[in-house]
Amino acid sequence: MWSFSNISDNIHDWLSANFNATWTLIIEMVIAGTLVIGLFAMLGLILVIMERKVSAWMQIRLGPNRVGPKGMLQSMADTIKLMVKEGMTPNGADKIMFNLAPFVAMIVAMLLLAPIAFAENFQLWDLNIGVLYITAVSSIMVISILMAGWASNNKYSLLGAMRSGAQIVSYELSAGLSILAIIVLTGSLQVSEIIESQRNGWWLFKGHIPAIIAFVIFIIAVTAETNRAPFDLAEAESELTAGFHTEYSGMKFALFFLAEYVNVFIVCGLGATIFLGGWMPLHIGNWTGFNNAMDYIPSSLWFFGKTFFLIFVIMWFRWSFPRLRIDQLLNLEWKYLLPISMVNLLLVTLMAIMGWHF
Amino acid sequence: MNGSSIIFYLVAALTLVCAVLSVSTRHIFRAAIYLLFTLIGIAGIYFWLDYQFIAAVQIVVYVGGIVVLIIFSIFLTQQAGEKLAKQKIGRKIFSALAVFCAFALTMLQIYQHDFVETSAPHIGNTVKDIGGQMLSTGENGYALPFEVVSMLLLAAMIGCIVIALRSKPEPK
Amino acid sequence: MSVGKYIKDVWGAVRSLGRGMKRTLYYFTHHKEIITQQYPDNRETLNLPERFKGEVVMPHDEKNEHRCTGCQACELACPNGTIKVVTRFDMIDGKKKKAIDKLVYHLELCTMCNLCIEACPSDAIKMAQTFEHSVFDRNKLTKILNNPGSKIMDGVE
Ligand code: SF4
Ligand code: SF4
Repeated sequence: MWSFSNISDNIHDWLSANFNATWTLIIEMVIAGTLVIGLFAMLGLILVIMERKVSAWMQIRLGPNRVGPKGMLQSMADTIKLMVKEGMTPNGADKIMFNLAPFVAMIVAMLLLAPIAFAENFQLWDLNIGVLYITAVSSIMVISILMAGWASNNKYSLLGAMRSGAQIVSYELSAGLSILAIIVLTGSLQVSEIIESQRNGWWLFKGHIPAIIAFVIFIIAVTAETNRAPFDLAEAESELTAGFHTEYSGMKFALFFLAEYVNVFIVCGLGATIFLGGWMPLHIGNWTGFNNAMDYIPSSLWFFGKTFFLIFVIMWFRWSFPRLRIDQLLNLEWKYLLPISMVNLLLVTLMAIMGWHF
Repeated sequence: MNGSSIIFYLVAALTLVCAVLSVSTRHIFRAAIYLLFTLIGIAGIYFWLDYQFIAAVQIVVYVGGIVVLIIFSIFLTQQAGEKLAKQKIGRKIFSALAVFCAFALTMLQIYQHDFVETSAPHIGNTVKDIGGQMLSTGENGYALPFEVVSMLLLAAMIGCIVIALRSKPEPK
Repeated sequence: MSVGKYIKDVWGAVRSLGRGMKRTLYYFTHHKEIITQQYPDNRETLNLPERFKGEVVMPHDEKNEHRCTGCQACELACPNGTIKVVTRFDMIDGKKKKAIDKLVYHLELCTMCNLCIEACPSDAIKMAQTFEHSVFDRNKLTKILNNPGSKIMDGVE
């Protein structure tokens, strides 16, 4: 997992030298697709075992400890179990929609990976509106949940889907506003430029208190957007059995499960990119010596380190707090997070105009 | 035919097929989902044209906003798994005719219009350019329409707040 | 809602959430707090917490004597009829004296609520920590707590 810098350029040069444009495009697509699917599989395996271990330790338990050394292969066993299980479609379900929904969830998660910069010069698509792209495409996510909830033809599923619809639509606002606070400072939506603007320090530190407030609101809002506890009303086990995926089993359930984890990874990657400098090592102003020392740690490690730290924080939320009620959830968003982030955005704008940040 | 045009035809075919399905299916929820795919396909074409901002806005507004709204109203009013009633044949023929006429009209317009390249300076499609243009008061600036639209939205928002604030009648 | 109260609300929420997170982080980093017993593996060295309750027993001393007077307080205290006290009358010094014949205890009905132990005026019964109760025949779960031929301890009224 060292720096991927320039590997992608080399591959592209080699392909363009040996094939015509169409074949280059196709081969590159295949490579990117394989990498993405590989990353998904790895993420699924790692995040599931991580979640189980973190939850166990936070609840003074041991967690999985039988399969493999210290239980580290447990998620492998889970995967095999899910793959050999029968994927049933209930009789009264809308068959097309029911079977399409998990794939929509998965495809959306894949699309979201495109603008994430995993390391220096290692990004699938550095498009001009990178951050807006992520917020836009992630709003398709809610459709897959609504599809699953409706097509299952089950009242628990429908209730779960409606709850998660209301939840995602409202929390998108404050997530967007808190991202916007940093965008005001960077003056660009492009991921590479956002990262470049943090060469002399991460925005979390450069942006004074408003940046910290924005960061906290961002973390809360994305926890809600990914439907994780304490905002997991969509699947609230004790009330709705499993919410929108009550009727799913086998691999179709696994796809939803995986999409949830990949979404967590993506929003944490986004948070790491915007607030913690993405792959940018910890730089402080112009302490050249310190900055150079930090540069020795490869950029991919920085990115994955920050992302996994944020994932840990989200898991930490999940295993510390009880679930909110639906009215508390909406109160939190509309009466607290949204006004605070609006005022915060004004503060940041003022700061950006006066040039008070570093 | 190069790779780029293959992608265009794939996306266009997806859009068209979903559009046809969305009006021909008898499950109302499926119609909404096919409409969603149509809109995503159009966003895909914007991406293909490299107009990324418009594509993203298309997704935010139509997919994240309007289709979710449609689906919610279906949830609240319809029964899952029920089909809509079959339409009379006369109606079908009439609507097919109407669609065909509109299609013919559009195609006619496109073929008769000779697209001349403008001599105006090219404006980039980055967010910076779009934002600058939106708020510029100079030639070809959009400051006035932008402000008018924002006034409209403000009025709508205040209206919503007024409706939501209406206090409950005092319990006797 | 005044602005001051609003800010105080937010601050209070952040503080209390922070306290909760500090606790979980403490558990996350202090693995010796883990209370899981890997049961079949450590059957020999099992370390049960002192308030763990497994079944009701009646201790007897070496002279096969118990402290039960047959007052039936436990039978009355039990919420689900687990205990049945069968009494008899012994003739001691020409006087009739109440004593237990059998104290029948249905383990399969017991919820380990501890009420009988608290009700007993003479501390005749207590909770044991045994828990491997599985048997093939349900009748084996109906136990008679006093040993055969046992009698009441001297001095216990
Ligand atoms: S522990 Fe509770 S349930 Fe069991 S015998 Fe005593 S009173 Fe009854
Ligand atoms: S066990 Fe205690 S409460 Fe029950 S009959 Fe005996 S003395 Fe009375």
